[in-house]
Amino acid sequence: MSAIRRVGAEFTGARKAFLRRRTAVFFTFFFPLIIVVIFGALVQTRPGGGGLFTEPPRYYVAGYLAVVVLFTPLSRVGSEVARHREGNRFEKLATTPLTRLEWLAAQTLVNVAVIGLAGLLLLALVVVLTGADVVLTVASIGALVAFVTVGVALFCGVGALLGSFADSQDGVIAASNSIALPLLFLSETFVPPALLPAWLPTWLSPLTYFSRGVRAVTTSGQAGDAVVPLAVLTVVALVTFVAGAVALPRTD
Amino acid sequence: MEEVLVAENVRRSYGDTVALTDVSLTLGEGEVVALVGPNGAGKTTLVRALTGTTDAEGRVELFGTAPRDVDRDRIGLLPQAFSPHDRLTARELLEYYAGLYDESRDVERVLADVGLSEDAGTWYENLSGGQQRRTCVGATLVNDPDLLILDEPTTGIDPAGRHDLWELLEGLADSGVTILVTTHDMEEAHRLADRVGLLADGELVAMDAPDALIETYGGESRLTVTGDVDESVAAKLQYPTAFTGEGMTVSGVAPEDIGAVVRELEDAGVNYDGLSWAEPDLEAVYMELTGNRVGRGDRGADPELAAAAGGER
Repeated sequence: MSAIRRVGAEFTGARKAFLRRRTAVFFTFFFPLIIVVIFGALVQTRPGGGGLFTEPPRYYVAGYLAVVVLFTPLSRVGSEVARHREGNRFEKLATTPLTRLEWLAAQTLVNVAVIGLAGLLLLALVVVLTGADVVLTVASIGALVAFVTVGVALFCGVGALLGSFADSQDGVIAASNSIALPLLFLSETFVPPALLPAWLPTWLSPLTYFSRGVRAVTTSGQAGDAVVPLAVLTVVALVTFVAGAVALPRTD
Repeated sequence: MEEVLVAENVRRSYGDTVALTDVSLTLGEGEVVALVGPNGAGKTTLVRALTGTTDAEGRVELFGTAPRDVDRDRIGLLPQAFSPHDRLTARELLEYYAGLYDESRDVERVLADVGLSEDAGTWYENLSGGQQRRTCVGATLVNDPDLLILDEPTTGIDPAGRHDLWELLEGLADSGVTILVTTHDMEEAHRLADRVGLLADGELVAMDAPDALIETYGGESRLTVTGDVDESVAAKLQYPTAFTGEGMTVSGVAPEDIGAVVRELEDAGVNYDGLSWAEPDLEAVYMELTGNRVGRGDRGADPELAAAAGGER
């Protein structure tokens, strides 16, 4: 019960602190909205043609979801670590019973809640604006929840690593953009593998497994199609989450 | 008296810069110890060494165990320049920190203790500097600790608030809480502490009861004469004198001799603007022992040291 109480306290504090930053909240939800409007409604997909956006609208659902699962945890957790360090909050927390794993778990739960909502909004917009024929069954919805949760945990871990090694909030933002943008476009999200060089090892990107899994369940409605990608994503998430927690500053 | 905190030969370096050199001290149960010293003397580094938030050499034990293994319910730390979530209210912040412990004090009582009951619903960022510091002090009290370590707790607090906080700390000490406090306020150190330690250049140069320090290092009482005082008047006085830009200081004048000295000054035609007499105090001890030393131990106060330590976490 102790750990649950501590994670609960950290979750409550982090949730309130985030929700009271109106600009951050606005852009967390505005970002996926503008992405869908630009690519889904303005650019639009042209199945059968050449170049980008030639797949059916359903193909890009994984990419749109990847945007929020990737960018928000990286920048939010990274910045939060930098803020904590600059305010000597970790120095204080090091003398309380809260462990670094518990701190990161609480931050991850806040991100899962926020990104879950943003993902729902995004999914609805994709269906309405692009006419994507997403197959939603109980199994596929459950699988989507699992992918979003595990994906968020993975990138919260990476965000914690960035925040721990970058020397300022500005550094965190620059580093997270430098990592997130290449990952987003080289992970079978918006650009199909056929348009990428054959030698490019997209399988090295954890986001590739997110894309493959989400695409599989939103296409077939069968959770079984996503077992392998989800398993790979979970293993990578465990590694980055633990690494991120261990890297959190404890000393000066 | 049980030893709550033991530090032996604590050393800490950042690159080639030595921040702490063989610092040793002990705190017994219910004792209040104040650490004073110039900016950069090593006070914050020592606090970090004692709480295990910096990697120092030497032996440190809190309640008989290493700082990182200690029962965290028993200690309360206020770090220097501590800045919690700025968009939580004072009450929410205390509830947050209370939630990190299995057992905690009633938050409303802690708010009352630090004088924040009326402003408990205000966001931290909208509180005054003194109220913010009191909120931070409150955050160290929520777990009812046996050992309080406070790094400059009264910085930014107005005199009334400072006195309230002193009374609170005195009450805690009376109830058996052991307190280590760093401060630049000599009045605070004298009033609160059973013993005062003076840190300079990373060394603990003196440690004793405030009155004992004053007796040993405080020198003599001083009569300060401000105004246009000619240095030739010194020869007419039977006391040691020193001249500053603002006037003259006459040392060793007992209270009953003040009148005679003043008459001598007037007979010598000194046209003074003001006279003040002071007994030796901790500030005199501080000046005697630290003089014009330039500190080097606190990273936050020393850009060179901060740069040297920049690669560490």
